[in-house]
Amino acid sequence: MSFNWISFVIQVVAFGILYLLLSKFAFGPLFGIMEKRRQLVKDQIDGAEKSRTDAERYLEEQKQALQQARKEAYDIIELAKSTGSKQADDIVEAARSEANRLKDEAVREIESEKNKAIASVKAQVSGLSVLIASKIIEKQVDEKAQSELVDKYLQEVGTKS
Amino acid sequence: MEHLAPIVLIGGEKLDLAALFMIVLTSIVAFVLARLAIRNLSVENPGKLQNFMEWVVEFVSNIIGMATDFKRGKVYLSLGLTLIMYIFIGNMLGLPFNIITEAHHGHATFLGMELFMDGEEEAHFAWWKSPTADAAVTMALALTVIVISHIQGFRHNRKHYLKHYFQPWPFFFPINLIETIAKPLTLGLRLFGNIYAGEVMIGVIMGMGFVGIPALLIWQGFSIFVGAIQAFVFTMLTMVYIGQASIHEEDH
Repeated sequence: MSFNWISFVIQVVAFGILYLLLSKFAFGPLFGIMEKRRQLVKDQIDGAEKSRTDAERYLEEQKQALQQARKEAYDIIELAKSTGSKQADDIVEAARSEANRLKDEAVREIESEKNKAIASVKAQVSGLSVLIASKIIEKQVDEKAQSELVDKYLQEVGTKS
Repeated sequence: MEHLAPIVLIGGEKLDLAALFMIVLTSIVAFVLARLAIRNLSVENPGKLQNFMEWVVEFVSNIIGMATDFKRGKVYLSLGLTLIMYIFIGNMLGLPFNIITEAHHGHATFLGMELFMDGEEEAHFAWWKSPTADAAVTMALALTVIVISHIQGFRHNRKHYLKHYFQPWPFFFPINLIETIAKPLTLGLRLFGNIYAGEVMIGVIMGMGFVGIPALLIWQGFSIFVGAIQAFVFTMLTMVYIGQASIHEEDH
């Protein structure tokens, strides 16, 4: 086995050419594709991570919104309850005061009617008594008896003085 | 009998046609395979060959990652891929068969060129072999990567590159020099020895005739294993040497 320098040189040159050709026409594009795939996988992982965090955030937001809505509904119910009871109280109060007012008015009216009635009775009584008295007097007092009465009184006056 | 390499004399130099032929063929197969793999490149739906090629890329990336720091060794990915593909395909090509031509009457020609027959009357020329079963070829590969490692070390890591010849003490310089020379030798000759021995062994088993068929099967299977391992080892050591020379690690 002899060492063949021509083969040596041929191999060096051939290897150089093969290296250049492979680098340029085979490995370059292949590395590019592999790099692209690495990028793609990285992007997809990033995207998945982003969607996950987004989903978590949305879930949190939804939970909070639900909590908020629940709280608002509770408040509204509470408010309605208190408003209702207050209104009921108001109505009862108003009814009570109205009733009192009506009662007082009635009492006052009764009083004034009574007074009026009494006043008219009094007036009628005095009129009637005058009438009765005049009727009695008209019947009993005549001229003779009058003059007798006057005479009697004159006589008495004369004797006593 | 001994198979001769088909050699023609050009201007007094011996040109090994079989080596030339196999080097070109291996390069073409490697290139065509790579081109086929990236024919329908797709990010989301890679084909089978593309998947295989990407697996090879990952494999070489891991080798670089093991040998040095992958981020800084990334630029050598193409080199490692070319090496591992070329050596593996080269190792495999020599396994399945051989093409032998016989020459009589002391001369033979190829495309009108006289084949060098070393003065023999009869000769058998072996046209098909692994390019890596030739010491000149493996040493060419080894020296190429070692030279690259020295150049890159000198360019990117000059201070430490120059200093490492004198470590741990200046009088270690001769030993470091021997190590520097031994690196390409061991790198190239390990590959050559393994593949050449495998082919010699196949030749020996072929000589056994039909009795040798089971042994041949076993040995060819083993040779596939050895070829794969040697391609891996060569690439790995290349990355280790380049890493040692050009990438200075801070924690050293």
